[in-house]
Amino acid sequence: MALFPIHSNFERDFVIQLVPVDTDDTMDQVAEKCAYHSINRRVKEQPSKTLRVRHHENGTIFPRDMKVSEAGLRPTETLDILFMEN
Amino acid sequence: MAILEREEWYDLTRTTNWTTKFVTEEEFYPDEMSGHRGIPAEAWETYDEPYKVTYAEYVATQREKDAGVYSVKAALERDAFVDRADPGWVSTMIAHYGAIALAEYAASIAEAKMARFAKAPGNRNMAVFGMMDENRHGQIQLFYPHANVKRNRQWDWAHKAYHTNEWAAIAARSLFDDIMMTRDAVATSIMLTFAFETGFTNMQFLGLAADAAETGDHTFASLISSIQTDESRHAQQGAPSLKILIANGKKEEAQNLIDTAIWRAWKLFTALTGPILDYYTPLESRKESFKEFMLEWIVAQFERQLLDLGLDKPWYWDQFISDLDETHHGMHLGIWFWRPTVWWDPAAGVTPNEREWLEEKYPGWNNTWGECWDVIVDNLQNGKPELTGPETLPTICNMCQLPIVGTPGQGWNVKDHQLEHNGRLYHFGSEVDMKIFQMDPERYQNHMSFIDRFLAGEIQPMDLGGGLKYMGLSPGEMGDDAHGYSWLEAYSTKKSDDAA
Repeated sequence: MALFPIHSNFERDFVIQLVPVDTDDTMDQVAEKCAYHSINRRVKEQPSKTLRVRHHENGTIFPRDMKVSEAGLRPTETLDILFMEN
Repeated sequence: MAILEREEWYDLTRTTNWTTKFVTEEEFYPDEMSGHRGIPAEAWETYDEPYKVTYAEYVATQREKDAGVYSVKAALERDAFVDRADPGWVSTMIAHYGAIALAEYAASIAEAKMARFAKAPGNRNMAVFGMMDENRHGQIQLFYPHANVKRNRQWDWAHKAYHTNEWAAIAARSLFDDIMMTRDAVATSIMLTFAFETGFTNMQFLGLAADAAETGDHTFASLISSIQTDESRHAQQGAPSLKILIANGKKEEAQNLIDTAIWRAWKLFTALTGPILDYYTPLESRKESFKEFMLEWIVAQFERQLLDLGLDKPWYWDQFISDLDETHHGMHLGIWFWRPTVWWDPAAGVTPNEREWLEEKYPGWNNTWGECWDVIVDNLQNGKPELTGPETLPTICNMCQLPIVGTPGQGWNVKDHQLEHNGRLYHFGSEVDMKIFQMDPERYQNHMSFIDRFLAGEIQPMDLGGGLKYMGLSPGEMGDDAHGYSWLEAYSTKKSDDAA
């Protein structure tokens, strides 16, 4: 369990932001922490959609319960946070 | 003794060169300072500056210019224009002085480097005048805002900004350090005078002067027009350097210098001039949009000049043209959202009427940036101002030192260009920023962006308060909405009009 900085590229937002997450966080928790800095600030909520985390460079969608420590991420790596059907 | 006519001595004196006896020519003009690139002295002696002036003529003209602008200032001082000007315009001036005044003073040092180390005698001659020009610009742009320090401490940032670690000041320093303070004399003549001054000071000084006159700010209009007359003269030092480099087989190197400087200058202007022209200037005083000014003063001018010289348009030109519609809107939204982190009060500039203008100038604005502003407006109207301010930091580009932005909403295209180099992960706001880094990584690799400093623990405590302290922003200096959010009333009026 350790602090792990990532950059959040949130769908429909205009800027990428620094977001501290934890190595034990699941991808759902990562999405939630990123959403805090975008949704209802500059991005409208989409209640019917699920937020999913995507690798910024290779486009892989991470499983929702995958932990940050299992995802092979580099510190400060940028992640896309997307509104998806599930 | 008869006094010689100008034409009898001028060419002789402007081409007079040194013949060194006690040191070698290389010791006198080391390549790292002069940038002669092995091109022989005879070639540099062919340098032919298009604008020729004697010292006596220079002094007489400059005296006239100063007398003109200082008398306008004195005559209008009692008018106290600042007290009745639109707050968006006041912000424009405060942002301008902080970003420009000390950079002008630094430019004087860059000109001094050319005056001493340029191997072309004509360049040395002209740079002496350039050095005095920039000294004048530094002094006058500190003197004017100083008169307003009694009104608001933000005016003091004309002098303070470059001495701080405020993020926009870091970005501006990074650009000017790169193109004028850490380059040899020849590269400085190309990057500073040809690439930056020929085009971009036109934008800041002529574009802004046009808006200033429309706004009724004749003091500021006369000041920056006067400065621009100097810029347009000493900006001509770069083209003759380029001709010599091209004639001596250094075209590729010359092109790289231009490509780097134009892109880096463009990025800074998306944060400084873009918001001013398209958002801060009152709607009725806007002459042209930022994009229109850019197309007229930068794009057309550079395309013509580069081709005339036998150079190419920068490789990223298509990307640059397409960014004219995008980048500065993101910079503006970012500056407004992170408003406590700047030394001026950004004007939102998004009333329904202003949005109509933006949509007309930038079709699709309402479905993109407008979507983000819709959420902000809702929050302000529904008593949730805390959601319209930052709780974290934007990701900063490791080249331009500005936030990484893109188009939001329905046109969402935000991208981080990441590069792992020597075990460190770098972030870039565009492919061009990354390529500039890759062309010369040793030059840029050790610079720490604001985010890098934050993560390295240099900013304590690690929160917004710690960040503001690190940036040197105290209460009374940190920005807030220029109009005190009064622009929201236009939305309420529109709602009732729509309902009726």
